[in-house]
Amino acid sequence: MLFAAGAIALAALPYAGVPPFTITLLTEAFIFAIWAMSLDLLVGYTGLVTFGHAAAFGLGSYAAGYFAREVTADFFAALLVAEAIVVGLAVTIGFVVTRVSGVAFAIISLAIAQVLFQIAIAWRPVTEGMDGLVGVPLPKIAGFTIDAGAEFYLLTIATLVLVYLGLSRLVASSFGRTLQAIRTNEERAAAIGINVRLHKWIAFTVSWGVAGIGGTLMVFMKAGTTPMSLHWSESGNVLVMAIFGGVGTLFGPMIGAVAFVFLRDEFTTRFEAWQLAFGLVFVVVVLAFPSGLAGIFARAWRALWPTRS
Amino acid sequence: MADALVVEELSKSFGALRAVDGVGFAVKDGDVHSLIGPNGAGKTTVFNCISGFLRPAEGRVLLRGEDVTAWPPHRLIPAGLARTFQITKVFGDLTVLENVALAARSRLGQNLRMWRRASKVTSANVEALEILEMLGLAENASANADHLAHGDKRILEIAIALALRPRLLMLDEPTAGMSAGETEHIGKLVRRIAARTSVLLVEHDMEMVLGISDQVTVMTQGRVIASGTPDAISRDTNVQDAYLGALDARNL
Ligand SMILES: Nc1ncnc2c1ncn2[C@@H]1O[C@H](COP(=O)(O)OP(=O)(O)O)[C@@H](O)[C@H]1O
Ligand SMILES: [Mg+2]
Repeated sequence: MLFAAGAIALAALPYAGVPPFTITLLTEAFIFAIWAMSLDLLVGYTGLVTFGHAAAFGLGSYAAGYFAREVTADFFAALLVAEAIVVGLAVTIGFVVTRVSGVAFAIISLAIAQVLFQIAIAWRPVTEGMDGLVGVPLPKIAGFTIDAGAEFYLLTIATLVLVYLGLSRLVASSFGRTLQAIRTNEERAAAIGINVRLHKWIAFTVSWGVAGIGGTLMVFMKAGTTPMSLHWSESGNVLVMAIFGGVGTLFGPMIGAVAFVFLRDEFTTRFEAWQLAFGLVFVVVVLAFPSGLAGIFARAWRALWPTRS
Repeated sequence: MADALVVEELSKSFGALRAVDGVGFAVKDGDVHSLIGPNGAGKTTVFNCISGFLRPAEGRVLLRGEDVTAWPPHRLIPAGLARTFQITKVFGDLTVLENVALAARSRLGQNLRMWRRASKVTSANVEALEILEMLGLAENASANADHLAHGDKRILEIAIALALRPRLLMLDEPTAGMSAGETEHIGKLVRRIAARTSVLLVEHDMEMVLGISDQVTVMTQGRVIASGTPDAISRDTNVQDAYLGALDARNL
């Protein structure tokens, strides 16, 4: 209920006098929110910390953007192609990387993202190298062009809502609970008959698939992408969003993504060293509230509504 | 009828250390079979080799006649084997009920269900609560497992394993770190469980072992030095020299 009301209120913003610039920021924030939630599935639910989550997002951007420019701007066709490529790769590399855990997993996932980054630079006929992919058209749905601004913002919100509902269902399912069991105690999970590697592999693939949806939206929003979308610093950013917001909640990373985009915007206009300023806020929040912004909200909520039990 | 478990010539080394060196024994169906021996004898390593957590270098493991050597845990559990850990491994930040319900859902083949809410798998929840009631943990059902007292965590280990409805339950020192009273409680519990399943028990408390076991296998330094009924074991001079004597001396 609260969630539906929130989504409708957000969807109404462009028609309630909110300036286009803010709508653009919100659109970017919500795309990042999809990406950060996909990361939460790995980090917060399965306990697999990755330093290479830009790979899934950037690859989705390249695949969807290239296809939209070269073949058709149809949103769902581009999404389907991007998903086929992102999920296909996730199945392949997930098979290998989910054999390891902990630091090894983090490092290998970083290495994979760096390989994609180098390919994006070197494979000029397709990726146009460092210049990046440009000239991606506006997306079309059922033949109608989705305009930049309010229409694209609505498309993003609709996607975000679907992704959130889908992931909420997933983490509450028996499968989702097995992921939490694996995060909590891998050996015990194995000892109750959970095929730990298979479950990690599936979680990895779903996570990449969802990140690919974000990447698809982003390439349409920016009308292109660059190799920087695959850079390790982007992987760092999405980790920051998720941890800042509070992992293991889905909702937290969403808030984290919004906070990230708006704080970055605030700080870049005020401070030269915006990353330092943001870093400080990040450290303070995470130290004071290990469960992130979501933890702050949960506390405020409990303070407002003292236990009814 | 095939034995519940047969272990043949099992060996496992860690570097130069032969932790398990040609171990063999058989657990008869319906028995409580205890594996005893001093610390470092290799009991836990035997457990790990049987339950798929370590791959034995040599030897065979037969579960009700079927060769299950080096099967991974997720195949062994549907085949009827469940284990607990000497060092408590529960799902610390999940509720006590969820700890057991996870195991019940796993047994019900729900692990890969991605849409239906886990909380709606009523049969698993009901079963989990029944097990908690049977073991006296029901009032803590909604507490986080981390918040349980040590003794209750040890019992939760058993509850999780029972939710898998094993035909052979392997308990690795269930009374580790428990008081005398709690130990007695566990002893009775094991006997009750044994009415439904065969039990392979690693245990330090000699009184308890001799009191509740049908068969006892004694290990020292990676080898079996004796196997037999509790009576025979307590009279065995080898065992007395190697193990019981040492324990008695310490107890005096
Ligand atoms: N993973 C391991 N790596 C190296 N040595 C081990 C490992 N596990 C056990 N050991 C060694 O193997 C021997 C047997 O250990 P263990 O099976 O735990 O004995 P028990 O359970 O009878 O006390 C000990 O000397 C122990 O130090
Ligand atoms: Mg041991």
